[in-house]
Amino acid sequence: MSDAALRAEALEALLTERGIVTREAIDAVVSHYEQDVGPMNGARVVARAWCDADYRARLLADGTAAIAELGFTGPTEGECIVVVPNGPRVHNVVVCTLCSCYPWPVLGLPPAWYKSPEYRARVVREPRDVLAEMGLELDPNVEIRVWDSSAEVRYLVLPERPPGTEALSEDDLAALVSRDAMIGVARAGEPAS
Amino acid sequence: MSQPTLDTEGHAAPPRRNGEIVFEAPWQSRAFGLTMSLCEAGAIAWSDFRARLIDEIGRFDAANPVLPEAGAEPAPYAYWDHWLAALEGLITERGLCSAEDLAGRVGAYAERPHGHDH
Amino acid sequence: MDGTHDLGGKPGFGPVVRGGDAERTFVADWQRRVFGLVGLGLSTLANTDAFRHAIERLPAETYRAGYWTRWLAALQLLVDEDDASVRRTASTARRDLDRRPRFAVGNAVRTQADGVPGHTRLPGYARGRRGQIVRHQGAWVFPDTNAHGDGEQPQHLYTVAFSARELFGEDADAHARVSLDLFEPYLSKEDG
Repeated sequence: MSDAALRAEALEALLTERGIVTREAIDAVVSHYEQDVGPMNGARVVARAWCDADYRARLLADGTAAIAELGFTGPTEGECIVVVPNGPRVHNVVVCTLCSCYPWPVLGLPPAWYKSPEYRARVVREPRDVLAEMGLELDPNVEIRVWDSSAEVRYLVLPERPPGTEALSEDDLAALVSRDAMIGVARAGEPAS
Repeated sequence: MSQPTLDTEGHAAPPRRNGEIVFEAPWQSRAFGLTMSLCEAGAIAWSDFRARLIDEIGRFDAANPVLPEAGAEPAPYAYWDHWLAALEGLITERGLCSAEDLAGRVGAYAERPHGHDH
Repeated sequence: MDGTHDLGGKPGFGPVVRGGDAERTFVADWQRRVFGLVGLGLSTLANTDAFRHAIERLPAETYRAGYWTRWLAALQLLVDEDDASVRRTASTARRDLDRRPRFAVGNAVRTQADGVPGHTRLPGYARGRRGQIVRHQGAWVFPDTNAHGDGEQPQHLYTVAFSARELFGEDADAHARVSLDLFEPYLSKEDG
């Protein structure tokens, strides 16, 4: 155990013993920042689907239910989540041209660029160019499927598992899955921009 | 009481990946949670903590130039160590716990038999 | 309604700006508060459809002033109007519907050609176009009436796929398609 770990543990113990804070309050803060917000939820879903073929099948058949299996639910922007898989010949990308609909339970709140007029206007009309500008060059023969979230259905892209990752654990795989890969503007395993 | 607002840029901002705060060891997330809980409980002020954190990091930066002298290894930058040092400083300054009590408890935990996994 | 918000396919926009603030949800603390306020406001003041329509009704310059600015302005508009007919009635929008869906997966459909003056979730670029039903998504509160206090009037919802060329002409990508989730009243059956 490192010196820092000992000191942190000692501090927590002393302050909780004195009733200044409670362990439960600390747990709640940590879990909020560590797990409840942001794209790590989606990354766990993707990593599970890469490792478990049965889970992948359930995820593609009923995204909402399979995502709820991992504890990620929510009526706000998550009542119905459809997962769309990338493959060698198909690439998916998600947008909301009318406002900024986004799958909050798995990706958190959207970044500013997702809500920008540039992205919303152009990704439906010229997706291949927009993706190339954003650093994702696709072969001209790869079919692009754009999902415009025009009602209450929310979309999550299941990226392809990067080659050479057979030996990685589910946790290590989840670390390769970026927010951008799950929107469909990047590949998994690429460094987050 | 001011609501804690984490910096997202600049020296005092915690490391993030994918927009999320990155903890590399459980103690880091506990130290983070303890700090936020103390702010919420009103035991310390976030603005005081933040000022101390910036001081800690500033001291490290001043002692460790970005470009080390030829042949010298760059000093490892450890954000959460600075965080913990800032927290210890503020807690002892506020009298929430004395430096002696803290040192005593650290010593006692260090004596625990191997295999203790908390 | 036609408006600044209906951006899909609109010409004249440049590259998507990335990095720095563009990667973040909030760049100032007041934006976080607006987010919290709207969450609170939408639990009592108005339903989501009315909120979206309030954003659409903002003056174009307010709309363009930025995402959180328009959230705040829309919230203010709803507070000023304080319209009991658009109060939120439930936390979810999915509904049971006895009426059977008119369309089946694989059916060819055409979207309505005309715009409407009020709230709608049929974007301008997808009007009067021929597509194919790829999924029935169940029945949901109909935003076009719910936003105006005219009741939930639940409708079947379908994912409909269109080729990029059907939507944007022969210059569009031959290997691209766009799918939207469209309510039954927007659709009519096509032969073949």
